[in-house]
Amino acid sequence: MKYKEFDPDRFDAVILAGGFSFGDYLRAGSVAANSDTMAKVKEMVNSGKKVLGICNGFQILVESNLLEGGLLPNLNMRFISKWIYLKIVKETALTKGLKGKVIKLPIAHAEGRYYHDNPQRASELAVFQYTNNLGEVDEKSNPNGSLLNIAGISNEEGNVIGLMPHPERASFPLISPDGSSDGLMLLRSFLR
Amino acid sequence: MRLSLSTYEMELVRKQIGREPLESEWKVIDALWSEHCSYKSSKIFLRTFPTGGENVIMGIEDWQDAGAVDLGDGLALVLKVESHNHPSAIDPFNGAATGVGGIIRDIVSKGAKPIALLDMIRVGDLGSERNRWLLKGIISGIGFYGNSIGVPVVGGELSFDESYNDNPLVDVACAGIVKKDKIIPSVVKKSGLKLVLVGLTGIDGLGGASFASRKLSGEDEIGAVQIADPFAGKIIIDATLEVSDKVEAIKDLGGGGLAVAVTEMANGLGANIKLENVPLRVKEMTPEDIIVSETQERMLFAVEEGNVQSVCKSFEYYEYPCAVIGEITEDKIIRFTFEGKEIVSLPSELLLSPPLYMWGTSTERRGMKPRIAVEIGQAIRKVLTHPDMVSKEWAYSQFDYEVGISTVIKPGEADASLVKLPNGKFLALKGDANPELCLYNSYECGKAIFAEVYRNLATVGSIGVAAVDHLQFGDPRRPEVYQDFVNSVRGISEASKVLNVPIVGGKVSFYNENLRGEAIKPTPLIVMAGISEKFFRPKIDEDQYIVLLGITKDQLAGSLYHKLFGGEEETPNEILYEDLITSKFVTQLIREGKVEFVKDISKGGIIGSLWPIIVKGYSVSLNIDSIIGASRVESKLFSENGGRFILLTQNLEEIISRSRDNGIFSSQIGKVKGREKIGLSLNDKFLDLTEEVDKYYNFLEGMQ
Repeated sequence: MKYKEFDPDRFDAVILAGGFSFGDYLRAGSVAANSDTMAKVKEMVNSGKKVLGICNGFQILVESNLLEGGLLPNLNMRFISKWIYLKIVKETALTKGLKGKVIKLPIAHAEGRYYHDNPQRASELAVFQYTNNLGEVDEKSNPNGSLLNIAGISNEEGNVIGLMPHPERASFPLISPDGSSDGLMLLRSFLR
Repeated sequence: MRLSLSTYEMELVRKQIGREPLESEWKVIDALWSEHCSYKSSKIFLRTFPTGGENVIMGIEDWQDAGAVDLGDGLALVLKVESHNHPSAIDPFNGAATGVGGIIRDIVSKGAKPIALLDMIRVGDLGSERNRWLLKGIISGIGFYGNSIGVPVVGGELSFDESYNDNPLVDVACAGIVKKDKIIPSVVKKSGLKLVLVGLTGIDGLGGASFASRKLSGEDEIGAVQIADPFAGKIIIDATLEVSDKVEAIKDLGGGGLAVAVTEMANGLGANIKLENVPLRVKEMTPEDIIVSETQERMLFAVEEGNVQSVCKSFEYYEYPCAVIGEITEDKIIRFTFEGKEIVSLPSELLLSPPLYMWGTSTERRGMKPRIAVEIGQAIRKVLTHPDMVSKEWAYSQFDYEVGISTVIKPGEADASLVKLPNGKFLALKGDANPELCLYNSYECGKAIFAEVYRNLATVGSIGVAAVDHLQFGDPRRPEVYQDFVNSVRGISEASKVLNVPIVGGKVSFYNENLRGEAIKPTPLIVMAGISEKFFRPKIDEDQYIVLLGITKDQLAGSLYHKLFGGEEETPNEILYEDLITSKFVTQLIREGKVEFVKDISKGGIIGSLWPIIVKGYSVSLNIDSIIGASRVESKLFSENGGRFILLTQNLEEIISRSRDNGIFSSQIGKVKGREKIGLSLNDKFLDLTEEVDKYYNFLEGMQ
């Protein structure tokens, strides 16, 4: 859908996809956050509709203050494209009945290091954490230096969720390196 | 701004037009007659490439921006390769990024959607801080552009040799998909069409085509480098594909800027361009600079008058500048005016017909370095820890290889990448070069690289359907350089014929030298696309048998072993028919699900081909005596002669017997063992490679 034609009243939920909105010039997501389109997304949030931000979408939600914290440049200052393991640590619209599960998704970003000035608050908001294949949170499994290995968070109500990994890219067995489709599980939960 | 025209060429121009050209006209001639745009030193030979074939929709002879082949189901594949060597030597980040932007626009200008990129990078010795700076800049530049624009980099090569000190090679290839009957030409056939330019013109990349067609001067040439703007590039892709139905021709503005794009699009007809109508990024640019500026993210369309408004509407939606700057005329004169004043007025014919050269060639062979004695275990360690053999994850993890959700076999997983196509088939892509072999015999090398890339596609179950070439050398006026160029063209042509893969496009880049005036190693490069019907994902597992197909020969010259340890060695001769039948056999086995992993034998020889198994944490047992052919142990282990594969399989007997039926030598040479130890057991003597595997994963990652 073209962003200028977006009419919030026609939809029950919106997904902000990944992809360098406005070239990510200035700071990832910052130009998009100030667009008319995001003002409409805010209306949807306020009326309790579901909003999911993936990768650049997450960055836009943070820049729009629809989610707390910030997304800083990766600790190694490079773009990172990689398949990683995540643990689901909270139930939200995206993760209904999935708490505790370990899933495999790809990441692809340069600015994905989650930061919050209150770690206690951050751990309450966290929905996904980077882990090893056994679901253990360790430093080695943290690809970008995120606070508490946080890969995705939600707002307090749980209707706005953002994550750096890409569930849509892990939804086709042919494309996943091990034939899994964990991402589809999340997207199905979101649509339910 | 410096010109690259010779005195002879300037004389020729004066004679043909009967007057002294204006300075602005010299600049236009300089761009059109540059090696970069005119192929004046190579065209005579390029014309001999086998470019035809049942499946070819658009080949080299059409002189279009890219080649195209029929994929069936109404779809066509568009393929193109380009380099950005000189700009990357000065400003690696922008040089590499604009290389990606340029190749993507070449694909888009055919009306095709770009679906995959490859990048083949060659830099000098990483011991030098400058080379590390170049490499980091090049990789992040490619990532910056490709990632933002949403075209996945699905594979490539990263290779090191000191001959690329000062002059790195940055080659990018792009594949695109278009409906067969919707391919847009780059040239017009009639006058009266309006010329529509989109994008802003600025002061970057002034005289870039000429800059790319001479040696690096060591002076400040930053003004000739273009600056990348991927967001604008993304708008160009989306909007161009939207309007492609409404335009008669599309041309990307690349080397030589407007001068070249307008002249080439007019293709012998004339054009009137009003420079005051060109949307500018900076005020007060001189008309001369507007003509030759190579600012990126611009596109030229030839449009019927009635469609102009609707074409511009698509760009204006994104607030992207779109302007009518002139029209195609009958009079065969390329004319640029500024507010009524004539700036350039030259015959099309003159601009499109530079003198073509056949430079002198020699038949001299280059000498080989004296042999350094080395024990086998030590040689294995040295070969496996050469930077060419280490993990390239540091590089490809900076590329978004998943965007588009179609990358089946990802970078680093196999010898070629595999991408899912909209018609359910799979596209295999790979690029290969072998400068070390070309150094000793560029004819055999031409055949060998073509055969290698063909085998690489076979390892993922695909048969090659189209190739593009990139021929990179030093100064063509030097006989030893021109010899390499001509011979490699011959070798590539021959391989294209035997393997039946047409060459549908290509590029030539001369004047690649270091600051001391020494040429790079001859680096012709082939990029090939293949098609397979069946999904394949390679799998390595304990207890698989390792089967070798083909004959190993005492032909070490040009191998990595030879590069490291020298010696007077024989050069491999590529027996193309062996490549053909073994590759077909391998794809048949993959289709039937009889093999789980296939690796072609090239860099590092058999040892190099076992390396991907060992780095996964397995040990491998190898029985040297069952390697058929070569008599010397070092040849058995390290020879890089063609026509060979290793297969991992559970169906040992069947494969051995079927290969006999097909007239192919085969033998079981070893087995994949457990993960308790990491290394290689050679005739039962175990060589621990834990340290080498560590280096494999950490070499580039640890680079400061």
